[in-house]
Amino acid sequence: MTTIFGVPSAVLYGQLLLGLINGAFYAMLSLGLAVIFGMMNIVNFAHGAQYMMGAMGAWLLMNYLGIGYWWALILAPLIVGAISIVIEVLLLRRLYKLDHLYGMLLTFGLALMVQGAFSNWFGSSGQPYSIPQALMGGRNLGFMFLPNYRAWVIAASVVICLGTWYVIERTKLGAYLRAATENPMLVQAFGIRVPRMITLTYGAGVGLAALAGVLAAPVYQVSPLMGADLLIVVFAVVVIGGMGSIMGAIVTGFLVGVIEGLTKAFYPEASTTVVFAVMAVVLLIRPAGLFGSKLEAAQGQPQSSLSATAPSTLTQTLIFLALACCLAAAPLVVYPGFMMKAMIFALFACAFNLVAGYGRLVSFGHSMFLGSAGYVCGHAAKIWGLPPEFAILAGTATAAMLGFVTGWLAIRRSGIYFAMVTLAFAQMVYFVALQARFTGGEDGLQAVPRGMLFGLIDLSLPANLYGFVLVIFLGGFFLIMRLVGSPFGRVLKAISDHDARAQSLGFETARYKLVAFVLSAALAGLAGSTKAIVSQLASLTDVHWSMSGEVLLMTFLGGVGTLYGPLVGAFIVVAMQNYLAAFGQWVTVIHGLIFVLCVLAFRRGIVGELIEFWHRLHRTPPAKPAVLHNVAVAPQE
Amino acid sequence: MSESLAVGNLQAWYGGSKVLHGMDFSVRTGEVVTLLGRNGAGKTTTLKSIMGLLDKRSGSIALDGDELIAAAPYDIARKGIAFCPEERGIFASLSVRENLLLPPKVAAGGMTVAQILTLFPNLKERLDSQGTKLSGGEQQMLALGRILHTGARILLLDEPTEGLAPVIIRQIGRTITELKSLGFTILLVEQNVGFAAGLADRHYIVELGRVVEEIPGAEFEGRSGALKSYLGL
Repeated sequence: MTTIFGVPSAVLYGQLLLGLINGAFYAMLSLGLAVIFGMMNIVNFAHGAQYMMGAMGAWLLMNYLGIGYWWALILAPLIVGAISIVIEVLLLRRLYKLDHLYGMLLTFGLALMVQGAFSNWFGSSGQPYSIPQALMGGRNLGFMFLPNYRAWVIAASVVICLGTWYVIERTKLGAYLRAATENPMLVQAFGIRVPRMITLTYGAGVGLAALAGVLAAPVYQVSPLMGADLLIVVFAVVVIGGMGSIMGAIVTGFLVGVIEGLTKAFYPEASTTVVFAVMAVVLLIRPAGLFGSKLEAAQGQPQSSLSATAPSTLTQTLIFLALACCLAAAPLVVYPGFMMKAMIFALFACAFNLVAGYGRLVSFGHSMFLGSAGYVCGHAAKIWGLPPEFAILAGTATAAMLGFVTGWLAIRRSGIYFAMVTLAFAQMVYFVALQARFTGGEDGLQAVPRGMLFGLIDLSLPANLYGFVLVIFLGGFFLIMRLVGSPFGRVLKAISDHDARAQSLGFETARYKLVAFVLSAALAGLAGSTKAIVSQLASLTDVHWSMSGEVLLMTFLGGVGTLYGPLVGAFIVVAMQNYLAAFGQWVTVIHGLIFVLCVLAFRRGIVGELIEFWHRLHRTPPAKPAVLHNVAVAPQE
Repeated sequence: MSESLAVGNLQAWYGGSKVLHGMDFSVRTGEVVTLLGRNGAGKTTTLKSIMGLLDKRSGSIALDGDELIAAAPYDIARKGIAFCPEERGIFASLSVRENLLLPPKVAAGGMTVAQILTLFPNLKERLDSQGTKLSGGEQQMLALGRILHTGARILLLDEPTEGLAPVIIRQIGRTITELKSLGFTILLVEQNVGFAAGLADRHYIVELGRVVEEIPGAEFEGRSGALKSYLGL
């Protein structure tokens, strides 16, 4: 048997084929994302869910209506595309003039709702979908065995991708699309119905995802969550390729698939993380992506700050003291376990808010800080036998270092790209946690000892533990409160308002962003470490992307860019989880629904809306709009 | 001569700020009419709000008696009004040919590509170049050419001379005269008063979002005093 660099050639070819198959799906999905983003300025976070709907659709058609593969190949994309058209008309249309992040949040909420609902109805385990009769079997190519269905998937996706490329780059319809991407108003002034074109583009992009889903159904298991993890890799592909070019999206998709396949053949341990490593390298060398040219376009427009005006220092201190008293007295009426959990998540959300609200760097990967700090703290306490204060310190320091490395790379991009990059890094950390030995893999680290704080205070006593968590929360919150009001906080807000202007004033904006990101990571790590001590457990839940979504939910629900918003949001979300636990997976659907409602109805969040209401009541205009504002239309003559 | 385009008490807003405070003017069929005024007076906004490109507008825009104030932007073009925006609005991701053929036909009788290329011979060699690789003058010709293709009879031209060399400006001037002789109705926004003076049948002076004065082309020389005070020449 021949070997190539120590790997049997059959294995190598097999993995290359698998890589090409994966690459075919990356290409089709990133192509759809690129087309949708070009037309609508929306990063379609529901793309993975819509791919899943295509696959599930094929499965449902087969099992309930007896409709086979070939009809599903046509019907499922049409149905899913039609649903997406309704979504565009009813929901997305309201967001075009707003910051790109709102589109991302809304579609994220939709994805949660769809995935949650499908999980409820059909269970989250995979369903088999058989290969159609005509494509069974395979042929021997001499050097390897090629299953017919795999050959069909690769051929079909190449044809679909090139067909899409041809339509966009070479036809009259494509010329309309490209022109409308550049200047929709002018295209309208020529008599073209741009809104209808946008609707149809969304439908087509989503239909493409659903088509990929049907193609994928016989290759992978059909399950409600099959699109969620795939989408994160596709985001990395998009960052690597840059969203500017259609051909770039196709080439990068296949390229990344092949790289993954090769890694699987030569060094299988790294196969899940290699994409993200490639992304990190590309960010270092060509921040705009391999095929991206317009970095400015990717950086988003200058926007008004998210943050509301802060009250005076005296009011702030008084509110803080009142808050401390309430939290200290709370165990008398509320279950202390709930209070501790809520306080830990509140600290996490406040840390997130420091970069998302005040720095306008909305990270989609904050779970990596919470989770990795939890692991290190748990490991230090359990295996090394460190006292809790040192274990927590170790966890926090780890998160800070992780924040430094990922932040150093991620701040090269902003807006939605920043969100995608952080999400990708968090996924990388997740895979490391899943595979590394010291994390305990699927089991996590259990029975983490609470220990004696400073050798004196026994944290296994409930009252001591509560006091400990309270002090950590209040300390972290106080630090954030003072940071936001400090000159550093003001510079951060100025940068988030207008990066270039802050630079022209002489601020090294990248350094400010990095410091804020590291601080936020460290505080998130503090929350994660404390969580490990309190719950005596460090597990995969805390590093999973859904945790990043949760902290985003808490912060947006409470009011992003407000001091107390994340606190309020965290308490509500934790309470929901506690009291709605009986609903099982439906909680995910409710989370998604809240996202959608937040984006559509109250973008300022609960606290933000209250502040606004207060100002209106007292007829004092807020100094700044406390909401991500419209893309400013500069008045011309 | 019949009134082709009649604008009455036109008001328009960018977001919350009001920019047009009641514009009143009209353009008769076959006329060349200019809107003159200082920077920020509301000239470009007037053209844009006729095309329906602003957040909000009110008043009346009548085209041969048809009211257009509530029409959607894509319907306005289909009534036979074509727009050549300031800074030309050439699409970078489209070739010259694609740019030229982009606006859909709205009426029969538009110029053929061959006729447009006779009018602007410079474009002939460059049909397969990227639109924004052309020189400023060529881009302006492309921007004019592409709306002649559509069959629209009313042309709204926003500062076609902006940033161009005098020799090119003269060429644009000849083109506009030729278009007038072909029966096009033209509403022209200009900063270059000398350019406008030689072309237009009538001039409207715009200030603070209103028409403050109407000057027939024949009286232009004699009214230079008034012009100076309005335009700060």
